[in-house]
Amino acid sequence: MTMPATTTNVLRIHPEKCTGCLRCELACSYMQTGAFHPAKSVIRVSPFEGHTSYAPYTCTQCAEGWCMTACPVGAITINAAGAKDVLDDTCVGCKLCTIACPYGTMFYDPDTRKAFKCNLCGGAPACAEACPTAAITYEATATADWLGEFARERTARVLVGAR
Amino acid sequence: MAARHLIIGGGTAGMNAIRTIREEEGERSEIVLVSAERPYSRMVLPYYLDRSIAESHVFTATPRVLADWGVKAQVGRRATALDTKANVCTLDDGTTVEYDDCLIATGSSAVKAPVDGADGRGVHSFWTLDEARAVLAEIGPGSHVVMVGAGFIAFTILNSILALGATLTIVEVAPRILPRMIDDAGAKLVEDWLTKHGVRIRTGVKLTGIEDAKGRKRLRFAAGGDILCDVVIMATGIKTNLEWLKGSGVTVNRGVVVDDHLRSSVRNVYAAGDIAEGRDLITGEPAVHAIEPTAQEHGRVAGANMAGKDVGYRGSLIVNIVEVCHLDVASFGAWDDAKAEAASGVKPDRPAYRKLLWRGDRLTGAIILGPSSDIWTTNDVGMLKGLVQSGVSLARFKAHLKRNPFDVKPAFIASKTTSALLPETILGRPSKAPGNTPVAV
Ligand SMILES: Cc1cc2nc3c(=O)[nH]c(=O)nc-3n(C[C@H](O)[C@H](O)[C@H](O)COP(=O)(O)OP(=O)(O)OC[C@H]3O[C@@H](n4cnc5c(N)ncnc54)[C@H](O)[C@@H]3O)c2cc1C
Ligand code: SF4
Repeated sequence: MTMPATTTNVLRIHPEKCTGCLRCELACSYMQTGAFHPAKSVIRVSPFEGHTSYAPYTCTQCAEGWCMTACPVGAITINAAGAKDVLDDTCVGCKLCTIACPYGTMFYDPDTRKAFKCNLCGGAPACAEACPTAAITYEATATADWLGEFARERTARVLVGAR
Repeated sequence: MAARHLIIGGGTAGMNAIRTIREEEGERSEIVLVSAERPYSRMVLPYYLDRSIAESHVFTATPRVLADWGVKAQVGRRATALDTKANVCTLDDGTTVEYDDCLIATGSSAVKAPVDGADGRGVHSFWTLDEARAVLAEIGPGSHVVMVGAGFIAFTILNSILALGATLTIVEVAPRILPRMIDDAGAKLVEDWLTKHGVRIRTGVKLTGIEDAKGRKRLRFAAGGDILCDVVIMATGIKTNLEWLKGSGVTVNRGVVVDDHLRSSVRNVYAAGDIAEGRDLITGEPAVHAIEPTAQEHGRVAGANMAGKDVGYRGSLIVNIVEVCHLDVASFGAWDDAKAEAASGVKPDRPAYRKLLWRGDRLTGAIILGPSSDIWTTNDVGMLKGLVQSGVSLARFKAHLKRNPFDVKPAFIASKTTSALLPETILGRPSKAPGNTPVAV
């Protein structure tokens, strides 16, 4: 059952509050895999402006769910929190979801040969809880492009130099 | 008014159409499915071949699920003729099915190279479940398998053959491997990588015949020595299953020509998937894209329109990804557009190669190769797809990507690609999960 859009919580990113401490990545990997292993985190802190500013990037839980509609075996479903979630037992590891997701927020574990992604921790996202500056909040709001404007200003300066 | 829908072909496109009709319709309609094979996903066959899943895992709907969906299924039956004036389809047992609208989703079949011995024992195509079963029965540890053809489909089963403990030789008539998926530089890298992993590759060789040789198979070539092996897999191409449409009045070119609603030249006849010739998202030209995502999107759009909705389709994007010996190989869109502006980069220390192609300041195609353990490769595959799909103007970030094609993320985020993509859905509404009507069994 899909929940009415207004009651669905999403991860809202406030990039200007991010200090780059990477606690979200640790918390995420611990919640998702049981190990503190940022390489297995599905939220990724990216540096901007020559590592003077940072922002976490993760799945927006988009309306199309490109990963979900692409999966040939129906291994991606919508969980109780409204997040697109990979069912490990069903996933065959074909990677079609990784190329279908136009946001680059699908992951693949070569050890288990399964795809994985942000599933909002089933409704209590560890990243939001772990963030000391509330740069990640879990709110009932429409999903959005949280980083575009922030990145446009900062990246522009790095890439072409301030003019 | 509840309609009588006829779905011909129960593969990816057909099953997506059926699910979408059930999702979209106001009033329960009648759905008849005529399919030569049980509904399954062909692209899952490689995982059946390497025994990582049971055979039952490949099916996209069991008879029980079809019954739950209220589908009258005629499985094992072939459509042999379509009378679009009388709205009647004839089946191979002589019976007929009347319809109000119908979907042609008969996909494609494998074609073997036309050489002597191609139909002999131990020489297989790998396109259907039956063919997969036959191949699986013959390969074991120590078998020597020769793959004829080095295209995408051959590569999807390469890992599986090695996982079964077989040794593999690939022979290809073109001067290089993956001629329709990646460029020369990429192909060279993949070829070196596979050779390093024990796969023997012979390119530019013409197979002339296959003979029995004391229980084994002998392959002869126009030039160069013979090859002795146990099993031959012919991955030498596919053709669309169009023959049965002769005399139907439906306009056929390379496939069934469809408009942006997936309608053929006959108003109540739709076509979807490998069989359909629809709009290519990047070029805007009609094209046959024999890939799973196109079959899914075509099937869903056709299904919605058959259920009475008015859903236009923007066109399909060619995307391919395959992993061989822990190397990811992917390409998108107009990756071989000779008129495009291109920039490429390699990492000297590992097997990583990228090529980006532009028209103006929009990315129109890409090739990406990298170790499958490399998270950035996986994420960048998606982001490059997003840049090509959305066609966002990269403006000043184009120069950055040209200098460093390995640093996609800042350009992706700062170009506000996410803003461009978020409103986009195929059916004009949020997708439904496979959920209560699971596609997997
Ligand atoms: C081994 C393998 C690996 C693949 N890997 C990938 C991949 O990684 N990525 C990707 O994008 N694509 C992949 N593909 C291609 C993908 O599977 C096809 O593009 C997809 O199946 C097309 O869907 P379709 O519904 O158009 O046709 P199909 O899935 O072929 O379905 C056609 C159906 O019609 C039936 N039929 C045919 N003729 C008739 C008739 N006259 N009457 C009634 N029924 C008929 C057939 O039996 C079948 O059930 C792979 C294919 C194979 C074989
Ligand atoms: S990798 Fe798994 S989840 Fe992703 S499309 Fe393939 S089977 Fe589905």
